[in-house]
Amino acid sequence: MADTPRDLPEAATRRFADGSFSSGLSVADFAACLDMGLEPVGLVQGFCAMQWGAFTMSGMGPGLNPFSGTQGGYVQNYQCPHGMVSNEHRSWGQNYQQNWIEDAWRTGFNNAYSRMMQEAQALGAHGVIGVIDSENPLADTGVVEFHLRGTAVTLRDLQAPSETPWSTFLAGQRLAKIFEAGYVPVSIVTSVASVRVWAYCVTEYLMEGTGGLFSNYGGAAEIVQVVDAQNTVRDLVRSRVRSSLHGDALHGAHLEVSVREFAKGDLELQSRLSGNRVRRFKDFDPLPVARPTVRLS
Amino acid sequence: MSGPPPPRTTLKDEVRRALESLAATPTTASGVTSDLSIDEELNLHSIGWEPVALVSGVSLHSIPFGYWNWGQGEIVAASSAFATAFTNATARLVREAGSAGGHGVVGVHIEQTVHSTHVEVTLVGTAVRPVDPGARLGRSVFASDLSGRDFTMLMVAGWEPLGLATGASFVFAPRRSMGTVLQQQSQNVELTNFTEAMYSAREAAMQRMQEAALEMQGTGVVDVKVMEGPMSFAKHAVGFIALGTVVRLAKESHQSIHPTTVVSLNDASVAFDAQSLG
Repeated sequence: MADTPRDLPEAATRRFADGSFSSGLSVADFAACLDMGLEPVGLVQGFCAMQWGAFTMSGMGPGLNPFSGTQGGYVQNYQCPHGMVSNEHRSWGQNYQQNWIEDAWRTGFNNAYSRMMQEAQALGAHGVIGVIDSENPLADTGVVEFHLRGTAVTLRDLQAPSETPWSTFLAGQRLAKIFEAGYVPVSIVTSVASVRVWAYCVTEYLMEGTGGLFSNYGGAAEIVQVVDAQNTVRDLVRSRVRSSLHGDALHGAHLEVSVREFAKGDLELQSRLSGNRVRRFKDFDPLPVARPTVRLS
Repeated sequence: MSGPPPPRTTLKDEVRRALESLAATPTTASGVTSDLSIDEELNLHSIGWEPVALVSGVSLHSIPFGYWNWGQGEIVAASSAFATAFTNATARLVREAGSAGGHGVVGVHIEQTVHSTHVEVTLVGTAVRPVDPGARLGRSVFASDLSGRDFTMLMVAGWEPLGLATGASFVFAPRRSMGTVLQQQSQNVELTNFTEAMYSAREAAMQRMQEAALEMQGTGVVDVKVMEGPMSFAKHAVGFIALGTVVRLAKESHQSIHPTTVVSLNDASVAFDAQSLG
């Protein structure tokens, strides 16, 4: 995550010094937390309102011509097989990675995350559990609010942390099972990738269902340009997350992809992968095969 | 002579040990990615398997314009578009799993959408393999939509998954003549054109799924999901999609899992009912 911004509000510092704790845990998770020796010290939060800037010229470069790059990211060109020249015929198409969208998202998320962790550090917490993150548009202004919250915890008698606390989306029983299974949480991990598809003629015709007229594919075929984009947007986000693990494991991963369609074949794909970065601190204890039960009630 | 059993470490001790280890430099590097829950991972571990990587496969296949609204019998272009998209997505999924060192993919989430002009199939799951290299399978990578728990129970029972099988069929419900429409307008009557179309789609789809299972040398398909009904964009077309995991017996005979019967002592009624106070 990004460097911690030192912008903890003064009012928050005073509130933290009051002596009572707050927690976002359910009663069951709270009980499990105490059972693990973890004591909640405060509900910590981080916000960041991020404006998605207009598509800058650096961003629009790709898609305007088939020879432009995409700042070192993924780019793939598709050429019309028909030899037609017409304003209404898309003689080339391009898939490209939208780095500037990914950068803006990363900045917004990392700022909110860092602010949450800064609150946890101010409380002397060793970790933050039960993290919940959300992104909400603020009105209709192109502004997205990133909001992260979780419960800061300390482990009694453990030396005060010198580094950023650990964090996890898990709490309660599931967190206890992670420890029992030999893993220790390191941090939450979330990343996005964004790929834009400018359709060329074949993609447009296949998506419209008029492939039989112009596509040279006998009317039905796999829509290769969109398939490439769909697979790539997933590859990119997984590769980015893998590189942030530094040899640790990603547990409980959640991969989702959203698609915005501007015209037939003109798409913007955004993938988001999140999960818990965990590190093995001991080998799996030998486990008996689970015993199936039939419950009578 | 065996000594006294080693003292059981408490959860608090384990948590302390785990958190203290964070200060040390990590000694193992796995880079594993997985969308399994911790319960599923523990289930897998109990039979000697482990997650390897999160993998996915996607395919979109076009359906030519104009096939949905007129004609008779099966809408072959749509059925074959679905079959090809599913096959291609599965091939990509298992190829990724194989590259990551997996022997199979479990817990595959299947998203399939049929549009009027194309079919989209998305598969996401976790590649898994036996922990013991000596136990690794000498056959092609399998894909299964069974959860980690169900995969474990299947293996314990002596069966093994072979792959995903699907069958899909889209069929026209022939339009009634104007005379029949007028005659039936004020009656409670079965519309046999739709019933027959659905039966026709069902038979073709189930047959295709079964053939796919036999091609994989499977003896059956478990956890079959069925999606059926009219197509939202075509009033006179119905569709039927069936998919599940192909299995076969891996041991000489089925191993009974002998479930234990338990009786919960929890009171089945609500513990505290405010209305009873009145």
